[in-house]
Amino acid sequence: MDPLPEPVSYLCGDCGVENTLKSGDVIQCRDCGYRILYKKRTRRIVQYEAR
Amino acid sequence: MEHGSYSDLSKSTFSLVDEDHTFANSVRFILNQDPRVTFCGYSIPHPSENRVNVRVQTTGDPASEVLKDGCQDLMLMCQHVRSTFGKAVNDFKTSKSVRSTSEKAVSESDDDMDT
Amino acid sequence: MSSSGDESMASEIDEQEQNGGRGIPDYIMNLEDVPSTLPTHLELQKTRVFCNLDAPQHTDTIQYSGAYAALGVDNSVRLDNFYQNFKVEVKRITDEEMEFDMIGIDPAVANAFRRILIAEVPTMAIERVYIANNTSLVQDEVLSHRLGLIPIDADPKLFEYPDDAGGENNEKNTIVFKQHVRCEKGQPRLTVKSDTLKWLPNGSELIAEGTKSAADPAPKTFTTFNQKSLPKFSKDPAPYNLDVIVAKLGPGQEIELEAHAVKGIGKTHAKWSPVATAWYRMLPEVVLTKDVKDELAEELVSKCPAKVFDIEDIGRGRKKAVVKNARACTLCRECIREADEGEEGGEGEKWTDRVSLRRVKDHFIFTIESTGAIPPDVLFTEAVKILEDKCERVITELS
Repeated sequence: MDPLPEPVSYLCGDCGVENTLKSGDVIQCRDCGYRILYKKRTRRIVQYEAR
Repeated sequence: MEHGSYSDLSKSTFSLVDEDHTFANSVRFILNQDPRVTFCGYSIPHPSENRVNVRVQTTGDPASEVLKDGCQDLMLMCQHVRSTFGKAVNDFKTSKSVRSTSEKAVSESDDDMDT
Repeated sequence: MSSSGDESMASEIDEQEQNGGRGIPDYIMNLEDVPSTLPTHLELQKTRVFCNLDAPQHTDTIQYSGAYAALGVDNSVRLDNFYQNFKVEVKRITDEEMEFDMIGIDPAVANAFRRILIAEVPTMAIERVYIANNTSLVQDEVLSHRLGLIPIDADPKLFEYPDDAGGENNEKNTIVFKQHVRCEKGQPRLTVKSDTLKWLPNGSELIAEGTKSAADPAPKTFTTFNQKSLPKFSKDPAPYNLDVIVAKLGPGQEIELEAHAVKGIGKTHAKWSPVATAWYRMLPEVVLTKDVKDELAEELVSKCPAKVFDIEDIGRGRKKAVVKNARACTLCRECIREADEGEEGGEGEKWTDRVSLRRVKDHFIFTIESTGAIPPDVLFTEAVKILEDKCERVITELS
């Protein structure tokens, strides 16, 4: 369906800077080299039942 | 849906889908006050099933006719309740607005009155 | 009344009956065309619940038409009799609450009205929430749940159930609200209230997943309709209370979402219930079966926390207790409790011999608290209509 996979933003676990990674990239912060990254909330819409 | 014997129409169980105590208890109440009814009761066979069974036994008249009459009576009762209630609310609202306007007139003429 | 001493219990009850409104003096009871000629004690058991010290007595309503056949009294329902006796007295009405007395109706029917009010009168409520962004502390599902419970001020009569359109969203069954709030960095914490929910008359603005692709000039949203073309709204749909706290945002946090409200009933989920609650109680009746005088009168007045009793001067410095406000009685039964339980079985008169607490079986004090979308008097009328519809449905099914 989607021809080009969208880049996803991650936040560095150490310095908090935003990193954009594509598939195949090394999982590492570009600023400080910290190897734990957290996925940032995307604007993809989620549907909930208000119950 | 009606379960009863074909030879004796005076005893029947009516299985009403999508009804509960709200309707069944009111109609049971009405039917018990009908002199033609010898027995009337209801049960909900299973709590997670939206169904209620109403049992009607009469002195001879067809049970379905008696149940229909009971519903008719309940409906007439509701209509009477509705008209009486509407009238009571209207009367209350008009009497209150009359009172509040007269109170206003009094307070305008008499400034030191505590409203 | 002030005659001393040994009047029999029955005649005193009789006397109080006359004062109690529904009471019927003997000369009327003796007339031939009066429908009920039950003996007074049976009439009393039929129409009153006795709230005794240990337990209530005669709580059941006598329904069976032949209950008093042996006495030659017909107990069958007479619709014209109901028409004569049924009364409604409104006590107070506001936009959100009303209290009224319903006199001369079966508890089964009164209860049916109450049940319908709570569970079967439709309203509009937020059912689906589309969250684009939520960086607040409140989780998405909790936030959605909170939004669902906000009462929406829109007339449900103008809308259809979503099932009628096969689950399809259209302008007749969906109200779309948008909420986009952000607490800027460096600002103090922001309290998000329900007034930030804004009605979108043109339907959804969020682009549905998977339809974003390529050069589609008009990307698909979750709904395709326009409610501005419908001139029927007297006022724009909005939350009834504008100060309901939905969430709190810290600096840098943001909520962006769309909420779709649909029509439903309280049976499905309590958020659709049009009332905060609706309840009734039977009218309390407090009767002094003996004259209570002087110190005893003082004691009785001070015993009652609901201030039901009052003192009347009967001259020459003597005092007598009277029932001033029986309606306020909570039936706590404090007035018939003996002060010193230890002296049980002692000789002399007990409080239970002097005071009789009862409830009138066919007099209901009905209170309706609306959540705001529909005024309480309209709610009740709607509830009665729903019961009528139920009857009609059964009648058509039987014929």
